[in-house]
Amino acid sequence: MNLGGALAIWRRDMLVLRRSIFSEMIAVLAYPLTIYLAFGIGMQGYIGLVEGVPYGLFIAPGLITMTAVNAAYNESVWSLWFHRRVQFTIESYRVTPISPSEIIIAKIFSGFSHGLVKGLVVALVIFAITPFRFPLTTLAAYLAFLIPGSAFFSCAGVICGTLLDKPETIGRVEAVLIIPLIFMSGLFFPLSSYPPGVAPFIRLLPTTALFEGARQAMVVGSFSVPYCGYLCLSALLTFTAAVLIFRKKLAE
Amino acid sequence: MTDVEQQCYIPLDMLTPSDKTPQQTLNPDTAIIVRAVSKRYGALTALDSFDLEVGRGELFALLGPNGAGKTTLIRILTTLMRPTAGEAFVCGLDTAVQGREIRRLIGVVPQENSLDRYLTARENLELHARLHAMEPKKYRARIDEMLELFGLAGRQHDFPDTFSGGMQRRLVVARALIHEPDVLFLDEPTTGLDPQSRRTVWDYIRSIAGKMTIFLTTHYLEEAEQLCERVAIMDHGRLIAMGSSAELKAGLTGGATYEIEFAEGSEHFGEVLRKMSCVEKLEISGRAVKVHLESWECLAEVVSALNGAELRRISLKEKTLEEVFISLTGERVRE
Repeated sequence: MNLGGALAIWRRDMLVLRRSIFSEMIAVLAYPLTIYLAFGIGMQGYIGLVEGVPYGLFIAPGLITMTAVNAAYNESVWSLWFHRRVQFTIESYRVTPISPSEIIIAKIFSGFSHGLVKGLVVALVIFAITPFRFPLTTLAAYLAFLIPGSAFFSCAGVICGTLLDKPETIGRVEAVLIIPLIFMSGLFFPLSSYPPGVAPFIRLLPTTALFEGARQAMVVGSFSVPYCGYLCLSALLTFTAAVLIFRKKLAE
Repeated sequence: MTDVEQQCYIPLDMLTPSDKTPQQTLNPDTAIIVRAVSKRYGALTALDSFDLEVGRGELFALLGPNGAGKTTLIRILTTLMRPTAGEAFVCGLDTAVQGREIRRLIGVVPQENSLDRYLTARENLELHARLHAMEPKKYRARIDEMLELFGLAGRQHDFPDTFSGGMQRRLVVARALIHEPDVLFLDEPTTGLDPQSRRTVWDYIRSIAGKMTIFLTTHYLEEAEQLCERVAIMDHGRLIAMGSSAELKAGLTGGATYEIEFAEGSEHFGEVLRKMSCVEKLEISGRAVKVHLESWECLAEVVSALNGAELRRISLKEKTLEEVFISLTGERVRE
């Protein structure tokens, strides 16, 4: 497959991101920082330590990760929906000599890039306003989770943006699937809080592998190979599903 | 071999054996071949055993009421959709298996503008040049040329949202031409444009006629008549008539309409004519009487009946393509 077409579309998306980055950042920063201020700082005095670390530190990696994967999902789902249903640009790409797979790869990488950029900005702000510091050596381990995690959510966004024709349905999917997937995976509390009968199911969620693995990497400095492997496998399966679904939808 | 033939023709030795089709050896002068193409959506048949051939370098118009199947046919020819049955070839390439090769050779102006509102006019063109794998040096010069040609050079750094409908449409046409296609598909290219913008697009289409094959669908019959050498009319997924505008009009059966202008007494003579058996329909408008006769042979009888009238003019009213279209597709509004 020639990826020149995918690169052209990705460059287009990055150009648009560059133009809107400052206006977007207000919205990108507002949500995680509000949560951080409310829970991390507000509740810290009541909660104290969680699994041996201050509560503010416990949730910080999760908030950075949440920002990144939310951005990846949102960019993919809305971009694909908008270009398919409103602007009809997907149609204009399709009459050029590029394949549907190239279009979808471009959109997945664009979502992924959005996630990384926005996650990085939130990380910088959290580091700037808190005393928490992470050794640089843990960064590589953290990215080993963040990268497949963002890819997983970007692919999920592409699937939703391909299948869902109405914007209100996209909002509903986010409310009943994406947000619960993120919040149930131990973003604000340790998995040990779950009843023993529920915990094994929660551990099966790819988001648990993402948030738990990322936290362990950043806070504890350990690297969970099973979590990382499971997350990469989930991202790969979602990628395959996204490509197949997009191709099938276009064929219709 | 003409310029167009050189562009559209793909030497057989450049193709793999599986790429070769009978059309490349049988009909090298044909840009578009549609053979028994059908497209069904469940119970709905959008195209029904449709056959068509368009010559290389030809300016061809496809007319039909809403839902006739025009856009479905364009989508099949531009490889956006597969037919349920039949086969279609563009520049000798099979739409079923050589989509990428076909898309290198075609330009498409869709019904919707499909411009990227987050990119400037120039960036829209650059993106499409990159999607066609054009070299930056080549596409920069070509974009300058197209922007100049379509009168958009002064607005190249503006976003399409700030453009008038006519300018947006011109930008879409420029985008379709950026890679110098051999076959240009125009799906209702002037819908919604004011007369001035429409004429600008027409002028450009005329200027490129002969340099590439142009396949046009339109609701504006005047557009087809003015621009195209050959016109096809389709309805309910089937081809129902094809030929030059003059041939189609000549094929329209029925009587003849004459306009008779009187110096005075149009009301009186109008009533005289109304009583004649060969007069099917009559309208009086001031000094003029428009009279529709059963056949042109009745004219002598009409002239005799007007003995004593002071006539200024008797003229035959030309049949229009619209009359041909309505007579073939009916007057009922389609849903």
